[in-house]
Amino acid sequence: MNLFQSVTSALDNSLAKDPTAVIFGEDVAFGGVFRCTVGLRDKYGKDRVFNTPLCEQGIVGFGIGIAVTGATAIAEIQFADYIFPAFDQIVNEAAKYRYRSGDLFNCGSLTIRSPWGCVGHGALYHSQSPEAFFAHCPGIKVVIPRSPFQAKGLLLSCIEDKNPCIFFEPKILYRAAAEEVPIEPYNIPLSQAEVIQEGSDVTLVAWGTQVHVIREVASMAKEKLGVSCEVIDLRTIIPWDVDTICKSVIKTGRLLISHEAPLTGGFASEISSTVQEECFLNLEAPISRVCGYDTPFPHIFEPFYIPDKWKCYDALRKMINY
Amino acid sequence: MRKMLAAVSRVLSGASQKPGQIFEAYNMAALWKLPCIFICENNRYGMGTSVERAAASTDYYKRGDFIPGLRVDGMDILCVREATRFAAAYCRSGKGPILMELQTYRYHGHSMSDPGVSYRTREEIQEVRSKSDPIMLLKDRMVNSNLASVEELKEIDVEVRKEIEDAAQFATADPEPPLEELGYHIYSSDPPFEVRGANQWIKFKSVS
Repeated sequence: MNLFQSVTSALDNSLAKDPTAVIFGEDVAFGGVFRCTVGLRDKYGKDRVFNTPLCEQGIVGFGIGIAVTGATAIAEIQFADYIFPAFDQIVNEAAKYRYRSGDLFNCGSLTIRSPWGCVGHGALYHSQSPEAFFAHCPGIKVVIPRSPFQAKGLLLSCIEDKNPCIFFEPKILYRAAAEEVPIEPYNIPLSQAEVIQEGSDVTLVAWGTQVHVIREVASMAKEKLGVSCEVIDLRTIIPWDVDTICKSVIKTGRLLISHEAPLTGGFASEISSTVQEECFLNLEAPISRVCGYDTPFPHIFEPFYIPDKWKCYDALRKMINY
Repeated sequence: MRKMLAAVSRVLSGASQKPGQIFEAYNMAALWKLPCIFICENNRYGMGTSVERAAASTDYYKRGDFIPGLRVDGMDILCVREATRFAAAYCRSGKGPILMELQTYRYHGHSMSDPGVSYRTREEIQEVRSKSDPIMLLKDRMVNSNLASVEELKEIDVEVRKEIEDAAQFATADPEPPLEELGYHIYSSDPPFEVRGANQWIKFKSVS
């Protein structure tokens, strides 16, 4: 399956297993602009898979309402770039629902799915990676898969998790990434990073599409510099797996974090800050962040903007030679 | 037919971060004919700004546009009851959402730091308190219709005062919750999840 099919599979499993589950968002009824919901309305009916008007804060507010009654709400925001009108609902309502009521009420059965990240031609408003904005908000979980197999397992975990979750789907991988994915439901735990390649000299951390970039950088490093890299996919942005990253940095002494989102205030800064607190004496070189520039996501300049393998390789080389 | 009734409440004083959102809610409710009563408690002030200075149209009951609205005298208890009855019946009959604006008043300031008189006159507050106070109006009605005697109502007054005294006593005497509870219920998590505090050596457990 490719990524959008694995998402459809996960949603299919959810609707089959949980009679209260509903999917809604803009254009989900016909199958969605990325085909993630194809066939679901025919299979489960128009009461369970339906369109909403074009209003993100309404979509999320509505989803919170459904979740508060106890039903499972799976909301789609058509592009992560449009999630900002719903920011107040997510941060001030969804994230705080349980805390402010002392666990009397909650909207834990809410999951928000949204296409995320650069796609080659998305420009300012179809390419953003807003995970850093939400990382600053206790009470929600933010999850980003790197592949179809990961996507299905993580999405099912998000849906079943008793906290409101935001699941960002790398849109460039919807069709491009394909692998064997089980038809039956399965879960991948949240808040657990995955070491996808072990190494001894440098730790490389990324999430979503960028994991594939750093994997390539790891093989470049091996080939050209004889450097052994440990590649980690963070998977859950908050609450993030501090232990796995720190354990790796204690072993290697060097850390490079990469993401498409702009450098300043990007999630790499949180990882960097925590790692230097926990592993200061183990570090052999300053922690390196290879990220997007501090500009809005550009249109024609996209190839120059994104943290490609060459920028990452260059930063890695500097760290090795520090 | 499911007699589900969802009432959405929007309090006017202070909930002004969300005016745009209410229109999206109106749209969805009307579009899908949801059985929903939208309640607007209009106490005439948003913190320190009177409605006349904040709203292009203070006919809040009309702001539902395509959703019918009622303007209700929020100071008259029986009026509120009957209006609610009407609105509930309307929704239950499948006609879709309805909006209820309850006109009321806020005697005190918005918060402990707001004296409540820097943006309105004491005379205005006194006038409402003496002419439109809901409890007073109901009391008069009951006494004048011989539904209760002044003494009976005085007894209730005494009981209420005692209840409040006891509650205030309890609140002031009750010990503060332990610091650990700061982290509770951020997430639903099993096992409890650790939350970082103000520095890296402070950790709270989010129990839920």
